[in-house]
Amino acid sequence: MSDNKISRRDFLKITAVGAAAVAGYSSIRPAIASGPTQAGPHQWVMVIDQSKCTGCEYCTMACRAHNDVPPDISWNEVFEVGELNGQKVFLPRPCMQCAEAPCVEVCPVAASYYRSDGIVMMDYDRCIGCRYCEVACPYGARSFNWKKFDGPNPAVPEWGQPEVARRPRGVPEKCAFCYQRIDRGLAAGLKPGIDPDATPACVVACPTGARIFGDINDPESNVSKLLKSTNTYRLREDLGTSPRVYYIAADPAKMKMEVSS
Amino acid sequence: MFSKIERLLFSLMVALVFAGVTLIIAQAKAQPAPVMQATPDNCGACHSDFMHSWQDGPHGQAFSDQVFQKTWADQGKPGACLVCHTTGYDPATGTWSQDGVACISCHNPIPANHPKDPMPVDKSTDLCGTCHSDTRFNWQDWKVSAHYQRNMTCVVCHDAHSAGLKNVDTKNTASSATTDDVSALCINCHQEYAMNFSYSAHHQQGLSCVDCHLLHIEKTTDGSTAHQIPDHSFTASLTTCNTCHENQMHGPTQPSVDSSAAETTTPAQSQSNPSMQFASVTPEPQPVSPLGFAGLAGLLGLAFGMVLSPWLERAYHIVIKKDKDKEEDEHE
Amino acid sequence: MKALRAKLPSLAFNWWLAWLVFLGLFLAGGLTAGILVFWKGLSLTNLTDLVPWGLWITIDLSSIALSAGAFSLCAGVYLIGLKRYEPVARTATFIGLTGYSMAMLSLLLDIGRPDRFWHAMVYWNKHSLLWEVTMCVCLYLTVLLFESMPIIANFEWLRKRFPKLTEKMSQVHHYAPYLAIAGLGLSCLHQSSLGAVYGVLKARPIWYKPGLSVLFMLSAIVGGIALTLFASMLASRLTPKARINDGLIERLSHFLGWLLMAYFYWRAWDTLAMTYTYQPGRTEGLHLLTSGPLAFNFWVGEMLLGIFLPMVLLLWQKTRLNPFWRMLALLMVAGGLVAYRWDTNLSGLLVVLSYMPGELGVGYTAYKPSLIEFVAGFGVISYGLLAFSLGVRYLRVVDHRFISKVHEPVEVQAVESVTA
Repeated sequence: MSDNKISRRDFLKITAVGAAAVAGYSSIRPAIASGPTQAGPHQWVMVIDQSKCTGCEYCTMACRAHNDVPPDISWNEVFEVGELNGQKVFLPRPCMQCAEAPCVEVCPVAASYYRSDGIVMMDYDRCIGCRYCEVACPYGARSFNWKKFDGPNPAVPEWGQPEVARRPRGVPEKCAFCYQRIDRGLAAGLKPGIDPDATPACVVACPTGARIFGDINDPESNVSKLLKSTNTYRLREDLGTSPRVYYIAADPAKMKMEVSS
Repeated sequence: MFSKIERLLFSLMVALVFAGVTLIIAQAKAQPAPVMQATPDNCGACHSDFMHSWQDGPHGQAFSDQVFQKTWADQGKPGACLVCHTTGYDPATGTWSQDGVACISCHNPIPANHPKDPMPVDKSTDLCGTCHSDTRFNWQDWKVSAHYQRNMTCVVCHDAHSAGLKNVDTKNTASSATTDDVSALCINCHQEYAMNFSYSAHHQQGLSCVDCHLLHIEKTTDGSTAHQIPDHSFTASLTTCNTCHENQMHGPTQPSVDSSAAETTTPAQSQSNPSMQFASVTPEPQPVSPLGFAGLAGLLGLAFGMVLSPWLERAYHIVIKKDKDKEEDEHE
Repeated sequence: MKALRAKLPSLAFNWWLAWLVFLGLFLAGGLTAGILVFWKGLSLTNLTDLVPWGLWITIDLSSIALSAGAFSLCAGVYLIGLKRYEPVARTATFIGLTGYSMAMLSLLLDIGRPDRFWHAMVYWNKHSLLWEVTMCVCLYLTVLLFESMPIIANFEWLRKRFPKLTEKMSQVHHYAPYLAIAGLGLSCLHQSSLGAVYGVLKARPIWYKPGLSVLFMLSAIVGGIALTLFASMLASRLTPKARINDGLIERLSHFLGWLLMAYFYWRAWDTLAMTYTYQPGRTEGLHLLTSGPLAFNFWVGEMLLGIFLPMVLLLWQKTRLNPFWRMLALLMVAGGLVAYRWDTNLSGLLVVLSYMPGELGVGYTAYKPSLIEFVAGFGVISYGLLAFSLGVRYLRVVDHRFISKVHEPVEVQAVESVTA
């Protein structure tokens, strides 16, 4: 070629090769994991009754033990949010498992994804540690592993034993509604929310029964009935994240400490 | 040379030998693997953490404990003791499967394909009560307590493996008190008392929750203290008060304690932003140092001055009207 | 020995050595810091769960933005037809290649799992802006590589060793218009998406606006062209190997002045618009920018020195024609771009919004990069400076006398036999 413009033939050749390359590459790369998923038969929801929460943080410690969470990270955090008639009011905050989760939208490698039962899962093997999900989460539910967690977990075995693999350094982690317990329980024919072995550890550990877990797709479940009968609220509804954790506001009448003997 | 028939017979014999050997080997493999005995050692092969905390505690040492062994031997080794101090005691034969309160006492029945199937656990008070409702324990006080009436089970406070109390030292919050006794566990749930009680006279005398609310009531049974439990009604009764204030019971109305030193105002807690309980979050932004800004601006001014100096100098000379010749020298 | 002494280079070469040693020191420091971070982890930085993005992300964003001269000048030259600016476009392309590789380096430092950096190319999330940025950056780096091949083919040593290869590499210049189209498309995508990476987050009200994409795009074009012009002028003053046509630079600076006016309007409007109502999180972020810890960086770094003063200097003919003032203005624009990226990142992260029921509470946190972050950051920057210096010295990156073969007059080619 001695002219400084390429011929039409060459242009077409290059375009064809380029298109073939793109098509070939697309066929070999793995399928995308994010995007709207088919909703499954169960949709797990958690209800937390603030009248019953005493702020004892049994939930945090059971979670730490069952999920092998480092001592300086809490998947479930308990906050003191106020006072009612001289008694403190607490608010435990697990991951909201949003139906429109900002973290799932922004992950560049789709390491955060929706499961068909509504749980927002983390693929710790895929995550590159860019921390975009951590920046995006309005609830601060994600914690990054800045350090490697070596050695024994102080919450084990008193509060439980680890049921999932420990996360490596360089990835963020968060509550996943103890999906491992749910899956194992369902396989064994148990009912999550009713049978302790199939229910998240925080729900089981709560000594006052402030946490309730169940399937909102089942109209007869504990959570469905509770949500129909009681006023509940969710955190930062204005953001449109559709969290799956509902709170029952503290009621002074229910918080009376005196007991009839 | 063998004839055809002979060859056939010989092959059949070889075939039989082959088949027989294969069958023997196959049958040996087809036999189910011997079921692992559900002993603490076998469970502990995977659950070593639980086994270690169990074997050092009262449940693990219920049989091997020296005091128990001596007392039991002194009484002629009655079988009634073994119902609780061993697992799987059979009164008819006088044998038992495991020493102490072993795993299967509470984890029963064991699923065939554990760990695929979760291990069941009975956390009910009835199970604890099979041993701990012995009449000597005087456990009925517990039914008076608010804990019982709010359906709290034994495992809310007690760790079944170590047979001790739950340890909340791993909590990082301010409410985890550092007390010598188990009062930290009480305060963990009843946090509203943590604040005010610290300023009370009782606390200043060195008392904590358990001194009044879990007091050992001396019950005279057979004189031994082996099967006594603290008062699980958690109510502080008149007897509790009289433990220290007996002299004031019917005495003149003079306080034994200087009340002016008691109830002081409790400090207010600033709880403006609870979800930001990190040490690094402050209610106000980092204070801006005017000196720092002034310094930076000064550096900038220096740079400006250096850059503008030729013009400034020129302007100076124009104003002063000195050395007009130097104007020509001043070029870029 | 005397013969050797006679061969010793002149004073200019010693400065070059000194510069190389200076850069080498920072490079070595950066390399050490990088190895430490790979080994010990990000706990060595001052990044926290509240401020997960800090100095390295700012360097990454700034490198990509300052490389925007490449696509804008190449688009101007090859697509709009302003052929006379081609030498400047060459410089810009090389700066682009350097800048994007700097961005990749600082990203490699910053992600928690550098060993998995390739995941974004294999595992896709089409909803994620950061994925789109990563893919576009990778593709655009390829485009830049192709666009830079004619420049690299100027390397004398390479020409002697592999004459046929360098010939082929030079011929890539034929495809410059198509590469420019690809570059323009990809750059428009990711330069604005970098702003949108912040702009789509509802959780941070000061970021949540569509204007952030436009601001990032505009500031990138402005800062990228400014850096290219500044680097060209500086190189020409430091070494005889770099020759510039001052007229070209002056024309482009004039254009830049007008662009700065547009950017000034946009940035001022963006800031002012945030004062209209109180919005939790956004107003506090603005407070940080205007009177808090970021105030100096915003008012002086971004607005006064970054936009206003250069705009005046470049639009006023007297100062624009003066090389010193022009260089100063261009450098300030580039600095202002870095200041803008730093301000955007931190104004969102330093404000901590509570999510508890009731009135939204606001708290503040602080961030100051640690020593390791500074050393590693300087290492990345010195790598960029080294690449540019080597380019000027050996690849004629800043050489406005250089006319590529493609643009030689037709008369020369008529002598050759015509082939099919």
